[in-house]
Amino acid sequence: MSRAETRQDPAGGGRPAPTGMRGVATVPSYVVMQPTTLCNLDCSYCYLPLRAANRRMPVPVAAAVARPVNIWAAQQGRRFSVVWHGGEPLAAGRDHLAALISPFSADVEHHVQTNATLIDDPWCEFFREHRIRVSVSVDGPRARNDSRHTRGGRPAYDQIRSGVEALRRHGIEFSALCVVSDPSPGLATELYRFFLDLGCDVLGVNIEETEGVNVRSNRWPDRAVAGFWAELVGAWRQAPRIHIREVEWSLRYAAAVLDGTADEVLPRQLDPIPTIGYDGSVVLLSPELAGFSDPRYGDFTSGNVLASGLAEILATPERTPWVTEFVAGVEACRTTCPYFGFCGGGHAANRYFEHGRFDGTETNHCRNSKIHLLEGVLAHARDQPAAA
Amino acid sequence: MPETSRQRPEPVGAAPGATVAEAGGDDQVADRVYAVRDGLALLLAEAEQARRRRAEAAGADGAVCAWNHFENIPTFYNWNNRPR
Repeated sequence: MSRAETRQDPAGGGRPAPTGMRGVATVPSYVVMQPTTLCNLDCSYCYLPLRAANRRMPVPVAAAVARPVNIWAAQQGRRFSVVWHGGEPLAAGRDHLAALISPFSADVEHHVQTNATLIDDPWCEFFREHRIRVSVSVDGPRARNDSRHTRGGRPAYDQIRSGVEALRRHGIEFSALCVVSDPSPGLATELYRFFLDLGCDVLGVNIEETEGVNVRSNRWPDRAVAGFWAELVGAWRQAPRIHIREVEWSLRYAAAVLDGTADEVLPRQLDPIPTIGYDGSVVLLSPELAGFSDPRYGDFTSGNVLASGLAEILATPERTPWVTEFVAGVEACRTTCPYFGFCGGGHAANRYFEHGRFDGTETNHCRNSKIHLLEGVLAHARDQPAAA
Repeated sequence: MPETSRQRPEPVGAAPGATVAEAGGDDQVADRVYAVRDGLALLLAEAEQARRRRAEAAGADGAVCAWNHFENIPTFYNWNNRPR
């Protein structure tokens, strides 16, 4: 039996390699839509190449996406979401965003990932009317938001807080996404206290990634990153009112290991996560690849919804050569990385932007946001078995 | 396929100073989970209590999400890939 089929078990019995994440599913659980390429901010770590241009998605593009999405969303037991991303999705304006939403059935959940700077009372009423779930991008207290500024260099923090205050005024629950650019000691505690005060219900924490037009290094000392995550667990444990994505997933995996059900944690197949660009072009698996091109891989697109149906595009992901290469990379992760059962394989964009191709394995992002995350949680459990 | 992997990082959950290989090889992640199971059991119990207090439930209408369908939350919370 090859190593690819069974890894050696330390007890001698042979532990099967994780079985999830085999191939790409033909039906996604959500689509990412780019209502406009424009962003009113110019964050220094942003990966989007066209954020200064206002290229708006025509309504026929949304209608073409809605046709299969409405069918998928109507299937029993299935949640299906449209994530309006960007650029800054609110920069498209309420009227245009409403027109783009209109082809979708009531079964479809809508979400926005926003910098919050444009949120005011009318936007909150819009969110209520369209039952849009809101996630705000903010990196912590004022001093931690140096990377988030306007095109003129003006800090965006006060505008972000103003938008959040509008959400709170209207009683709209929201999530937050935080980019960590320097995982230094003390930061996790500072951030968690900030987000408790901010009032978000869910928090996702991203260690800054080197991708797109952001070429800043994301290589940090292993212990610093693991220490950051361990400290975050400790801070969360003192007041666990926020659902922290990374902590919850780590605990879910750890619980499954202890229950002997770890192989059930990963989805059976990779979610294709189609990103629909403003012009209808479809990029699979990694939204961060949209808008880029490469002499070897072309523009990374798998088709255009105005030329062929989204379902048809998703039915044959292997027709896009880089996707086939990526799937080979996932299999390489499966056979070489002991963290695969937790991680499910490195992301396409991180592979490409760090390695220049898709069939490599471990990336800095793997280390920062998967490997040392789990190690940090385990270190916390070892060093602080009970909350202080 | 190019060789793009580097030497594995030091496993923080293992003994201080150990490499993954020194901690027992490539397949020892689960064993290190078991090694701290007492601490994890407390942490998991606290997390369960916290989830109950947050009243997370499948079908909840707000931003909150639930433990058991966490991987199915069809947004940027998807673990295995996500826009930012």
